[in-house]
Amino acid sequence: MDTESFGDWLGRQLRRQGMSQAELATQINVTRAAVSAWVTNRAEPQMNKIQLIESVLGLSSGSVVSRQEPGTSAEALTWYHRPAHDDGGREFGNAAAFAFDSDLSVLAREATQNSMDERLENDEPVRVRHILDEIEGERLYDFLEALRWNEIEPHVDAAALADNKVGRILADGLKGLRQTGRLLLLRIDDYNAAGLTGPDYDDGRFAAVTRRQLESRKQGEGAGGSYGLGKATFWATSRLGFVLINSTLSEPHQGRTANRMFGRLELPWHRAVGGEWSGPAWFGEPDPERGNVTRSWWGDDETAERLLLKRDGSAPGTSFLIIGAHDPSGDADDLESMHEALVKGLASSFWAAMVAPSQQRPMLEASVVARRNGVVVIPEERIDPDVHEPTRSRALRAFLEGRTVSEPTTRDDVVQVSVPLQVPPLKSAGKAPAVTHDAVLLLAQDDTTPRRPSRLVCMRSSRMVVMDRGVPDLPIGVDPFQAVLLAGEAVGVDAPGAKEAEQFLRTAEPPEHNDWKRTDDLVTSYARGAASSIRNFRAAMLEEVRRALRPSEQQNGDGPASLTGLLDLGGSRSQGGGLRYPVVDDVEGNIDADGAWHVRAEVRLPAKDDAWLLTPVLRFATRSGPKPEARWAQLVPESHCELTAEGALLFAAGARKAAFSGISDVSSHPVAARMAIAEIDLQHVKESAE
Amino acid sequence: MSRNRLFPYPVLGDVCTMQVSEVRLDGVPLTVDMASDRNKMVALHHTERQGWEVARLAVRVHAPLSDLEAGPWQDVTCVAILSERRTNARTVTRLRREPDGSWAGAVLLERSRHLKRADLSAHLVATVEGVQGRMIGATQASWTVDLQASSADQPNTVEIVVVDFADVAYPHLNGYKTDPWMVDATGDEPTVYLNSRFDGLTKLLDSGERAARENLSAQIAADAWTALFNAAVYATDMSEEGRPEWPEGWRGSVMQKLLPDIFPELSPEDGLLELVSRRVDGEGGGELQSALMHAVTRQAAVPRRLGGFIRATNRKEGS
Repeated sequence: MDTESFGDWLGRQLRRQGMSQAELATQINVTRAAVSAWVTNRAEPQMNKIQLIESVLGLSSGSVVSRQEPGTSAEALTWYHRPAHDDGGREFGNAAAFAFDSDLSVLAREATQNSMDERLENDEPVRVRHILDEIEGERLYDFLEALRWNEIEPHVDAAALADNKVGRILADGLKGLRQTGRLLLLRIDDYNAAGLTGPDYDDGRFAAVTRRQLESRKQGEGAGGSYGLGKATFWATSRLGFVLINSTLSEPHQGRTANRMFGRLELPWHRAVGGEWSGPAWFGEPDPERGNVTRSWWGDDETAERLLLKRDGSAPGTSFLIIGAHDPSGDADDLESMHEALVKGLASSFWAAMVAPSQQRPMLEASVVARRNGVVVIPEERIDPDVHEPTRSRALRAFLEGRTVSEPTTRDDVVQVSVPLQVPPLKSAGKAPAVTHDAVLLLAQDDTTPRRPSRLVCMRSSRMVVMDRGVPDLPIGVDPFQAVLLAGEAVGVDAPGAKEAEQFLRTAEPPEHNDWKRTDDLVTSYARGAASSIRNFRAAMLEEVRRALRPSEQQNGDGPASLTGLLDLGGSRSQGGGLRYPVVDDVEGNIDADGAWHVRAEVRLPAKDDAWLLTPVLRFATRSGPKPEARWAQLVPESHCELTAEGALLFAAGARKAAFSGISDVSSHPVAARMAIAEIDLQHVKESAE
Repeated sequence: MSRNRLFPYPVLGDVCTMQVSEVRLDGVPLTVDMASDRNKMVALHHTERQGWEVARLAVRVHAPLSDLEAGPWQDVTCVAILSERRTNARTVTRLRREPDGSWAGAVLLERSRHLKRADLSAHLVATVEGVQGRMIGATQASWTVDLQASSADQPNTVEIVVVDFADVAYPHLNGYKTDPWMVDATGDEPTVYLNSRFDGLTKLLDSGERAARENLSAQIAADAWTALFNAAVYATDMSEEGRPEWPEGWRGSVMQKLLPDIFPELSPEDGLLELVSRRVDGEGGGELQSALMHAVTRQAAVPRRLGGFIRATNRKEGS
């Protein structure tokens, strides 16, 4: 761990305590110059002075060596509300939050995309955990007290008066809280990610997320996001525009890593508590160097616990607590349906990132759990890609394990073909040649039930689903399938043109990252032909799907299609489209002590003005050849039929149902009744000319 | 199982499904389009591998496990049955139980025991009330393994061949070289020949205007069905018990297709009996011919296609 220099540490402790260098000098009996030399790292004190410093600052012994300091307790925290602009400008909402339609699956998508982009470079997956918790009673009261709700309530109330979308959502959130006495929290944790590193105000992950709008720090070639819009969905998902953060850093800041905490409230312009306010407010430790502005604080475990933000273990990453969480689309309005929406959203966007070749860890693990007042109501569900996307997961795993084929020989085989993508040079690259990249297209037969529609999904290095398309104009009679297209670095970091294709496709994605198309950025960054290159790529992938599914050869020259369809010999016409002749609808029977069948049969008849004359026949089923017949010892008409002298049944004209029973003549049985299957048919009796 | 069946013991019924997941000819896998789950068909004819001896079909059978466990059956096993009536071959293969409850195994089809088309189904067999080896369930639909088909996409259709009727390679057509088409209903495989020397015929059928193309196809199909049916009638015989037997192969299929429209009030069995007895009695064939024409017209979709052609023609004249 990079330890902070003693001077930086001491300077911060003095500022925290509001103690001047001169005061310290007096108290430990050194010159002011000596303290100044320590703070500017020109000298370090001797051991006896260090112990004195610890006692004057109220720190435990050894704190200086380990550069420890006590976490800030809840009492020291406060809110900073940004005053309204002097020029009279007013913002009535965050434009980034309006950039795309938000719902829970969009939140899950944006948050997880951010987590994956910040994944640490090791073989461990980034673990993403969604916790829904509806709190009430004492737990709610204590939570609101910890975050100084009484300090912000007047602001939220005032902002809720605004007659616009944001105002209405706030009013709704307040009403919900006051009427039900319940508050829904959605906490999104990631582990094995970078965490919010960097200084409080200057460039870095922390400032990008908590202080800036529309700044994307995604410099990595493989990053999923690129617009800096994702974080806005956190605030858009809160009815109160309120998100609390706790981060464990991967690189120390001020010598520390655990429990870096901060809160941000996103309100529109409002007038409250005797002033005009720009809208945003930050919850943290007051920064004496910047007036009343608040900064992140190093929380103690107790505060983290009270703010419901205590993280598991020491793995780096960030927890976002969305206060007053709701589904902005309004589709999911209770705990259960929100849980379901999150699971679905995570599975459909990130199944591929959760697939790993055997013996390896995936890039991502995700889970969702729901609680009421801290008590689990829907147990933690780790999202299993093989459950949610069985066929596509099978296809991807086959590719990762090098088991794909070009010609399938079993239904389980995954076919791999390539789809060319021409990447034009960047305008900045001058007269460079275009690069050809071969994207990988995987096709697998879909045998799952219930049947899902056959579709093509596309992705690049992050393996987040970018496009999900149907495949029109398929050859007739194609069995259900799923297709997966891997492009750019998803093919392999070292694949030809992978880097160029990755960057090109990222540029071709709109803010939602759900399409590859002509974007403004694409045409300004790339040389002529960029738009048509994307268009060709889109068409080529569909054509390759069709080509791969087309039967391999047509050797027998099947003849004109309009004729072959009329000459189908397969299958016989069932009695579809109305009953045409009487049938035995149901039979039941048992074998008596003598070995005779006692049967009762129900008959269904088509409507007809004349009576039907039919002979019931009891036959013993055989594998092939004629079925041996047994005679009746007794035949009893039960309803809508009568027995004729010849032993046939005359079914009443107009009847739709009839029933009869009978007992077989044992002496006519070809085999013992107990040993064979029997069946009852009705045979047409040819009326002899009388 | 059919609703008219009686079982002297409890059964599960025709509730199993079977999949053919892989086919190998002498150990070499066939491409997956040679087996179609949709058509329940496996095609074994491969031009480059004419001399194969054994086809190996990997099959898997699923049964409703909860029903199976709830029932009074012991020692349940599953067997795959490969049979062909033509050669009277019947091969029973015991399948092994998989961890997921399904049954799987490899069915071997020896070419020397089969001729054309084998039937592949599965039975569940169990000990019931102390009696061993009773069949308690079967597949809903059986698979067809066609030794002569080269694709599983077009099951069991009449072959259509475009040739020059004057070609010496087809001496039986040489006498009809001015005819546009000819139906050969003599062999194992009925064939419709289209005469390539008949100017414009194949062009019209392949790429002509849709209404005209479909109308012509319907005419050809009607001729074909009539010829096939008449050939099939002559191939139908009475059994010793005086019941008619379904003719084999395509002839049986043609009967199954047309009889319901020829004798609409008779079950297929009764219809077959009626047909044969009329032929034997020498009863006037006129009535039967009218009924046949009606059935064939329906089968070949003549009313719809002719109607479409007439409407298209009227539109053209009107415009």
